[in-house]
Amino acid sequence: MKRKMLAGAAALASLSLAACAGGSGGAEAEGQIDYWLWDSNQQPAYQQCADAFHEANPDLTVKITQRGWDDYWSALTTAFSSGTGPDVFTDHVSKYPEFVANGQLLALDEHIADVDLDQYSPGLADLWVAQDGKRYGLPKDWDTVAIFYNQEMVADAGLSDKDMQDLAWNPDDGGTYEETIARLTVDANGVRGDEPGFDKENVAVYGLGIPGAGYENGQTEWSMYTATTGWTHTDENPWGTHYNYDDPRFQDTIAWWYSLIEKGYAPPLETTIGASVNDNFGAGKSAINISGDWMLSTYFGYDGVDVGLAPTPTGPNGQRASMFNGLADSVWAGTDNPEGAAKWVAFLGSTDCQDLVGAAGVVFPAITSSAELATKAFAEKGIDVSPFTTHVEDGTTFLFPVTDHASDVHAIMTPAMDEVLGGKADVGSLTEANDQVNALFD
Amino acid sequence: MRTRITWGRVLAWVVLWFFVLATVLPFYWMLRTALSDNHALAAQSFSLLPADLTFGPFERVLGLATPEEAMAEGGSGASLSFWLYLRNSLVVATAVTVGQVLFSSMAAYAFSRLTWPGRDVWFGVFLGALLVPPIFTALPNFLTIKSLGLLNTLPGIMLPSLFMTPFAIFFMRQFFLGIPKEIDEAAMIDGAQPWRIFFRIILPISAAPVTTLGILTFINTWNDYFWPLLVGQTEESKVLTVALGVFRSQTPQGAPDWAGLMAASLVAALPIVILYAVFGRRVINSIGFSGIK
Amino acid sequence: MTATATPAVKATTATAVARRPRTQLWPALGMIAPAALGFLVFYLYPTLRGAYLSLTEYNVLGSPVFVGLRNYVDMAQDEVFWNAIRVTLLYVVLNIGFQTVLAVGLAVLMHRLTKSVLIRGSLLLPYLIANVVVALLWYWMLDYNIGIVNAVIDAVGLPKVAFFGDEAWTVATIAGVNTWRHLGYTALLVFAGLQMIPASIYEAAAVDGAGEWRTFWRITLPLLRPVLVLVLVITVTGAFQVFDTVAVTTAGGPGNASRVLQLYIYEQAFARGHFGYASAMSVVLFLILAGAAFAQMRLLRAGESDLS
Repeated sequence: MKRKMLAGAAALASLSLAACAGGSGGAEAEGQIDYWLWDSNQQPAYQQCADAFHEANPDLTVKITQRGWDDYWSALTTAFSSGTGPDVFTDHVSKYPEFVANGQLLALDEHIADVDLDQYSPGLADLWVAQDGKRYGLPKDWDTVAIFYNQEMVADAGLSDKDMQDLAWNPDDGGTYEETIARLTVDANGVRGDEPGFDKENVAVYGLGIPGAGYENGQTEWSMYTATTGWTHTDENPWGTHYNYDDPRFQDTIAWWYSLIEKGYAPPLETTIGASVNDNFGAGKSAINISGDWMLSTYFGYDGVDVGLAPTPTGPNGQRASMFNGLADSVWAGTDNPEGAAKWVAFLGSTDCQDLVGAAGVVFPAITSSAELATKAFAEKGIDVSPFTTHVEDGTTFLFPVTDHASDVHAIMTPAMDEVLGGKADVGSLTEANDQVNALFD
Repeated sequence: MRTRITWGRVLAWVVLWFFVLATVLPFYWMLRTALSDNHALAAQSFSLLPADLTFGPFERVLGLATPEEAMAEGGSGASLSFWLYLRNSLVVATAVTVGQVLFSSMAAYAFSRLTWPGRDVWFGVFLGALLVPPIFTALPNFLTIKSLGLLNTLPGIMLPSLFMTPFAIFFMRQFFLGIPKEIDEAAMIDGAQPWRIFFRIILPISAAPVTTLGILTFINTWNDYFWPLLVGQTEESKVLTVALGVFRSQTPQGAPDWAGLMAASLVAALPIVILYAVFGRRVINSIGFSGIK
Repeated sequence: MTATATPAVKATTATAVARRPRTQLWPALGMIAPAALGFLVFYLYPTLRGAYLSLTEYNVLGSPVFVGLRNYVDMAQDEVFWNAIRVTLLYVVLNIGFQTVLAVGLAVLMHRLTKSVLIRGSLLLPYLIANVVVALLWYWMLDYNIGIVNAVIDAVGLPKVAFFGDEAWTVATIAGVNTWRHLGYTALLVFAGLQMIPASIYEAAAVDGAGEWRTFWRITLPLLRPVLVLVLVITVTGAFQVFDTVAVTTAGGPGNASRVLQLYIYEQAFARGHFGYASAMSVVLFLILAGAAFAQMRLLRAGESDLS
């Protein structure tokens, strides 16, 4: 209150305050807040949030820095190590445990005591409570996966959009899902994958495009299949201490998935390294891709391709499955303005900001009501996103595995999965990789 | 005899032109991609002409497109302050070029034409720096720059290469070694001091290698990516190569904005190409100095 | 000029003893002072610090814990490390092989055919583009499905090639991409060396009736050797440190097929938080480079007498 009366003096003083931000040490939060995110498609929406935040808190200015995913984490690590990290940053569940273990994140509990955690989609808030029982992030958005398909190709194959909505999969013969993929595969002579005389060595359009071997999590590659067999990545989640890549249910699924490549229904792994799987879809090289909602604008942006969406296939347990991943905003422990940073995080996690993000129609905000705005925004663009939201409504999601040693697990499983999908090693070799992974937790 | 040589010559010309084309054609592909609509690229990947011809990518690079316009053509929503990055790149590359060439030449002079105990040993030690993997020194140097309070500043980006590189010293020393001794001997006898000899005699007659080294240094500094990425993270300290990163994939699995990336690369290379066009003949004619000696 | 270089040093030294003051230590120190500052602060100190860190467990965010030689022991048992050494060596051999052979060929062609600055100038163009951009450009052009190169291969009826994805091709492809960028530059170095070979030698050979092919093997190549060895010293050291090209294209894959040592070091240090282990591998890389340079220097010395 006092500050307002001394507005003139404060304006002068603010220059020097900004220069030694946080030096004031008072209870009041002021100064500049550095905020990092990686997705430039979301930057305009978050800039709106930053402007709204500044309006509500004239002492605080948010400065957004966008750094592409490729450089994001190493840049963050070096910035932390040198004491120059951003006050607040977009965080990923696979990364934050290591930051917590190294004391780089600020526990938010006391700062966000009045935030209602029930407003977020179920499960998202829990992902961000570490083993010490403290909260290190406030949910900002979520994602699930769905089938993107080329409508023209589906029609040419004599299938309807309705056929695509109810596919069933099993690891033994692939079910109607594999039949559809086979049907959509066309060789250079125009022979379909389910017709006699199909030349698997000379395929023009693959039924199923694959982005790669799927690393340790298989989010858009294989996790929607494995999860319907009852298999889970780890013994518990979050904070499991034992991975299950040796489980027959997992290995059988991967063996089936690889068999699509052998049958010529999916591209050999070696041909998927290069331009992204979605560009190949855009070029008409594949009929079906599975991807996450964060790729919606990319897929629907391609010229000359009519994109349809369908939910992932039902599996042996009779249900669909989708990995459910949520990003959050975290505060760096080294921030010189914990109060202001926490205030900004709380704002990012509030309907004030998430409604703005939802209305932009680029991603699903974590707050249920804001996510509905996103659904509406997508609908206005002519995109029915129910294949993504159905998982949340039906409760068929499972959480992204959160454990310690995530980057080491990633480094071990990436080449191991490449070998299997590249046909260089048998699925049984994953047992050995699994031993290596579990040795990290001894 | 004559026909055999003629046949060989024809073949030789064909091979030479093959190499010239293999060198130049990818640049056409860059330009073609840079004039395309990113959304149309995938579908028209084999068209030799730009896919849906547009200057949008260049507008994105120069910061003339609004985020909405950029995203409509498959670009990113990030804003670009092109002229600021260009200025930063110019400042950094110019300062490093001047500093590195001058200081390395001075050291090279001491290592080649002055007599002092331990000279060759120290030269060997300096040259050993050539073997240190840059990855190895990146983090300690980062911490040094930090403790100097120069993170996210242009001097912070310049400093590690401002004083010397082993290659620059090696390069200039090789040239100085080849200068006939009579040239500075006379001045020496007249009692001129080494400093004076260096600036008045040695440096002026070394204009060609100095230009060559200068241009090579400028090119390398201009194109450096990894170090400025670590040290220059703010808008105010971002150089062009780092800013190009905006056109690479933003999200896991996301495809790059190929059109924007290629346009940005062409624009970023423009100053170098101009420099090269101005000094080109000289560089081409003298670029071998490091190899000659 | 190569021939005069070494005698010139000796002559200077000899006369210096006779006529100059015994030592020019102070001016010399003054002249190397700025370079020495840069050397001490940005090369020597980080190297020593890195050598110390190689004896620690250090995740960059915490503080280093001394572990003795454990990182080195781990390294000996790390299959990925040994694979990285093999991949790096393969890359160096391929890259240096392509680049040197082609550069010599190109330089000889230019030398015997044309003095056109335009041709030489255009060959240098790729060198003006940043490494990362060159890598991405080729990643785009060589793509299996939507790259123009495979479209051409397909159009002429040959089987398409997964340049970056096929384990048999990936290292060769990366070596080729870097060759494309450096070929013109290397060729100009060799070209400069060729211009030093006295024209009279070629005239004599022509009088003797030697053909182009024979002239190349009997005259050009032997006389070029000192220049070649120097070019190799520069390019081999650079090739061992290949990083950018791999990092922005395959990121080491498929499997570990292109995981070169410098990339593995980078991953361990910055992505996996094993900075101590990464430092230990850097020390080994340093030793390899020193060994390679030493071997080449010996060759260089052996080559110096060729012209005389």
